Amino acid sequence: MAYRLGFDVGGTFTDFVLRSPAGELLTGKRLTTYPDPSEACLAGLDELVARAGVSLADVAQAVHGTTLGSNVVIERKARGVGLITTRGFRDVLVIGREKRYQVYDLQIEKPRPLIRRRFVAEVTERILADGSVRTPLDEADARRAVRALAARGVDTVAICLLHAYVNPAHERRLAELVTEEAPHVAVTVSHEVSPTFREYERTSTTVVNAYVMTAVREYLRALQSELGRRGYRGRLFVMQSSGGIATADAMERYPVRMIESGPAAGALMAALYGELTGHRDLIAFDMGGTTAKLALIEDGRPSTTTSFELHRVNNAPGSGLPMNIQAIDLVEIGAGGGSIATAKLGVIAVGPESASSMPGPVCYGRGGTEPTVTDANLVLGYLNPEYFAGGSMRLQPGAAARAIEEKLARPLGLSLEAAAWGIHQIVTTNMELATRVVSIERGRDPRDLTLVAFGGSGPVHGCRLAQALDVPRVILPAAAGVTAAIGLLAAEVRFDVARTFVRRIDALDPAHVTSMYEEMAAQALDVVTRAGSPSDTAGGVRLVRSLDARYVGQGYELTVPVPSGALDAVSLARVRAAFDDIYAARYGYSSPGEPVEAVTWKLSAIASTPGVALSKAPPSAAGEPLKGGRKAYFPEARGYIDCPVYDRYALSAGLTLTGPAIVEERESTTVVPPGITATVDEYGNLIARLGT
Amino acid sequence: MSRPVDPITLGVIWGALQSIAVEIGTAVHKTAYSEQAREGQDFSVAVFDREGRMVAQGPYSPGHMGAMSFAVRHALAAHPVDTLRPGDGILLNDPLLGSGHLPDFFITQPVFHDGALIGFVVNIVHHTDVGGQRPGSQGVEGIFDYFQEGLRIPPTKVWHEYRTDDGVIGIIAANTRTPEKVLGDLRAQRSALRVGELRLQELVARYGRETVFAATDEILARTEASVRAAIREIPDGVYPFEDVLDDWGPGTDPLRVAVTVTVAGDTVTVDYDGSSPQTPSGLNSYINYTRSYSYAAVKCLTDPSGPMNEGALRPVEVKAPEGSFLNPRPPAGGGPRAVICYRVFEAVVGALAPALPDRVSAAASHMANPTFGGWDRQNRRRFVAYELVLSGTGARATKDGCEAMAWAFNAANIPVEAQESRHPLVIERFELIRDSGGAGTFRGGCGVRRDMRFLADDGMLTNLSDRQRVAPWGLFGGQPGRRGCTVIDPGPGAVRGRTGEEVVHSKASRSFAYGDVISFQQAGAGGYGDPLARDPGLVLEDVLDDYVSVRAARDQYGVVIAGKGFDLRVDARATERLRARLDAARVSTASAPAGVRPRSTRARAAPTLGTRSQRVASQARPPAKRRRS
Repeated sequence: MAYRLGFDVGGTFTDFVLRSPAGELLTGKRLTTYPDPSEACLAGLDELVARAGVSLADVAQAVHGTTLGSNVVIERKARGVGLITTRGFRDVLVIGREKRYQVYDLQIEKPRPLIRRRFVAEVTERILADGSVRTPLDEADARRAVRALAARGVDTVAICLLHAYVNPAHERRLAELVTEEAPHVAVTVSHEVSPTFREYERTSTTVVNAYVMTAVREYLRALQSELGRRGYRGRLFVMQSSGGIATADAMERYPVRMIESGPAAGALMAALYGELTGHRDLIAFDMGGTTAKLALIEDGRPSTTTSFELHRVNNAPGSGLPMNIQAIDLVEIGAGGGSIATAKLGVIAVGPESASSMPGPVCYGRGGTEPTVTDANLVLGYLNPEYFAGGSMRLQPGAAARAIEEKLARPLGLSLEAAAWGIHQIVTTNMELATRVVSIERGRDPRDLTLVAFGGSGPVHGCRLAQALDVPRVILPAAAGVTAAIGLLAAEVRFDVARTFVRRIDALDPAHVTSMYEEMAAQALDVVTRAGSPSDTAGGVRLVRSLDARYVGQGYELTVPVPSGALDAVSLARVRAAFDDIYAARYGYSSPGEPVEAVTWKLSAIASTPGVALSKAPPSAAGEPLKGGRKAYFPEARGYIDCPVYDRYALSAGLTLTGPAIVEERESTTVVPPGITATVDEYGNLIARLGT
Repeated sequence: MSRPVDPITLGVIWGALQSIAVEIGTAVHKTAYSEQAREGQDFSVAVFDREGRMVAQGPYSPGHMGAMSFAVRHALAAHPVDTLRPGDGILLNDPLLGSGHLPDFFITQPVFHDGALIGFVVNIVHHTDVGGQRPGSQGVEGIFDYFQEGLRIPPTKVWHEYRTDDGVIGIIAANTRTPEKVLGDLRAQRSALRVGELRLQELVARYGRETVFAATDEILARTEASVRAAIREIPDGVYPFEDVLDDWGPGTDPLRVAVTVTVAGDTVTVDYDGSSPQTPSGLNSYINYTRSYSYAAVKCLTDPSGPMNEGALRPVEVKAPEGSFLNPRPPAGGGPRAVICYRVFEAVVGALAPALPDRVSAAASHMANPTFGGWDRQNRRRFVAYELVLSGTGARATKDGCEAMAWAFNAANIPVEAQESRHPLVIERFELIRDSGGAGTFRGGCGVRRDMRFLADDGMLTNLSDRQRVAPWGLFGGQPGRRGCTVIDPGPGAVRGRTGEEVVHSKASRSFAYGDVISFQQAGAGGYGDPLARDPGLVLEDVLDDYVSVRAARDQYGVVIAGKGFDLRVDARATERLRARLDAARVSTASAPAGVRPRSTRARAAPTLGTRSQRVASQARPPAKRRRS
């Protein structure tokens, strides 16, 4: 019998969950540590297993979520990363695709390339679109380029040569030369990271892979060895952007696949809670200390994408760094408990700057001087200074009030509570706009959706956000503050492999495709089976195959499922027919008379994990649900009123709370505003209903 | 007007209409066949209401979008609403009725719900070739009317009740050099409009016709009010500006773009009186096209982040004398008119520079939009290819211009790997040109160079570019960018004069041989503010990244860079001395243009241009604003 452990690092908090063999969940939360987030991870894990009375040796599987890669990119803080391109194309990153992401804004800026021109080297070689070699790789020239980069302090190199997705020979050879000339330099090649055409998008993905490689490798290795020292004998698993997990060593080569690790876990978990409560069309709203993340879940599944952009400006298409990898589709904005409030142009502005965990909000008493959302929520009476993070931190309401008074209320001529309420309201409005992007702008009316509010600050703002959008229902999951960590345990082990092999489907040799798929399957199975399976895994590994195809002459593909087993002419004809059907469903018409060409062949090896079956709450929880009361500010009451405070762990199924009410739990606090009722369901979730 | 719509519903409908436009655009992008549509995104899309008013548009080319309102009006004049059936599509490409040249195919499809008209979905795609004298249908030279430019289609139903009109399609297929691409793109247009039709029907099914119509009125009214409010913030005045296009073909004179922008209360009038007469060439901008880029410029300077729909156009009036090259009489040629749009757009920006110095930008580089034809011997077929070389944008009041960024004509480049996989060519360079960006306190973006080697016989090039004789202007002391050029078989550097190289005129039509390299080298964009006031640290960074040479750092910025190889630094004392000397030298040779002067009052346009260019460049500097009252 084995325990499973999930831990998810956010910008401000690190969340923990331990699942016992019997299915009980034990949760924890602590401040993220900088510069080394694994400090908090280890301390939190130690504390959690001690609380459970077990040791890490009893844990069969540890799953980790981290925003490390994303942070390294957003802060442009990696050093020593270089790029090698085909001669004549050193500006591939600077040039990009050139379209204006805001048509009418003359003040726009392009995303700053991750690699400056001075760290880009060109080599003489050329492969053409059909894979033929026009100019052989000039090895002497290549060696010179490598030495020059190494002399400038480059220790990680991305290699992206033209048409390498068709013929990777030059990239392979160049990688060998790098290793020969500069054995200390880590190499990443585009045909492995992102084997698809369009040089800018492929280079961008490959460069991000190189850019985060050192930081991710060092971090994961150190973490794994610390876990080992504490007796953990399993492998460390990491959440990928796709929503599947993989072993940490498999991620060392492809760290770009974990670039959106944490948010993916949250979306998965929201889908699971929706399933549990019978709601399949949802908005996952995850508000932590630094950012808020929003994802649309349709028919029980998070929307996914095969390409997305990292760090868009105001969410405008074309403003971020293109990533050609599988990912859950989500919007992230700088709105969290740590978001800093300022008085700008006579109004309150909140974020995107964050006090993160160091120094953190003023009320943490760790040197923060700028008022934050958490400071406002404390002043409004929503948070309990004695019971923050389960009482492990004592908050300082006086300091928070002074900061808001001095930085906002006085300059703007507002009362303290008006300024605090203003912060609360503005950050909610910012999140409302982001929610519109994932609902209204995708043609979904929020009035038909259910909001799942989680993350440390999500339940504080969830009902207000729902009010702003007329969302009729809010699910406040049990253990809302650590939902993403629970999502880690719900994910399946997954490894994706893709190959570009462009042929008309009617000209394909089925035997060739079958053997290509066999190679791909071997590669993916190797990764997944090397990951081992925790002792209580149910079921084996399944292989999911698909094909990206298009009509001959088009530039973009649709994904079509490919049946398993050996392929023959009949099964390929079915794939073609399925393409027409999918095309017609998406674009209204199909062209059965036009030839179809296969482009990218994809395979995923997926091993199920035990998942998390949430246990039902006991019919009558122990203890008295009403733990007291305090003054809290509600504009409906035009000021502070006495507000009942409930103990989340003492709420029994069927209990209905009527707002105003505050519900406290270790990792989060739920605010139920006046006029809203919330009912406890059989799993201990709070289901808030708005309006009538 | 019916009863008011509650704010949530209004917001949802507004967002939904916008997202329908985006969905139509995404469908065109993802299903198109031609490189310019699927890669360059040279297309536009919009949703119109039942009265034919544009309600929402996708984020694509402004040139199509300003013209779209007029095109839909013309389509409906020819096919009145009571003759329309669900699934009809009205196609037109007439230059006067559409966006000014034959390759742009506008299709308007009515949308019905429960038997009643609820609106229109519209898209327009620039097609690869519609016949005529040159492959790509964009010739300048040797054109004297549009009958030489290809197939002209008056408003015609291309599909009836969801069924393609094979006769019309057959005529189109027979009149293009690239039937696969043109028919493929027409299918993309049809699919995209179907997607838009379904979404608009869903919207009305959900909220009811009356609510959607009321919301539409509200959307247009609010947009108009927001643009008017923004115009009121601009000081009233009459703001003239003048710029030129290099010429309208080999051996011709510059074309004058004269504009007077009048701001009066909450309205703007843009008048091109004084501009050159229409030309007996392809180089003319029909009025819809001139309007489009004038609207776009006003929008950029007033309400850049607000919505774009018919309401945003109402406060703006655009006029150009009939018979001028900015409002030609049919059957004037218009194929290559894309090259004019930057100049129209920048004339308005330049005119308003004195009034809005913090919002404007110096002149951008210029794009090259050449087209090619020839015989692909390997695949034994003819080919037509389209290119779009976009470059840097002008510097701004507080920051450098962007490197490699579309300007008024908003499109994307065509990836090397996409272009090469379809055509007999190898792209040998795609890079920025060092020292081409105009110097200034803030630097203009660099010119971009794209070298293409053609492995084709019977090659025909239709060149299309500008800013090769008259450089893009700087603002407020910022220097002009370096001029561009087109060269066959150039050397690797930017220096001219290699044996065997041949300079090609920016608007020439000519042949090329198997194996020839054609190099499109675009101008750099203009700088903003005195170069001697640029932070030397930024100059050093530019040198380290090879945007600026050590020599140009010294000559143009007065910054002395010391050290070797990678180990460079600013010699602060030498820099101070050099800047003092350069500044003193200027005082004796120049005087300040009145009214245009942040930081240094002594800056002026670069003295390196030819005599004629110099005159034009100084004309192109924003003149003092003349306040009307």
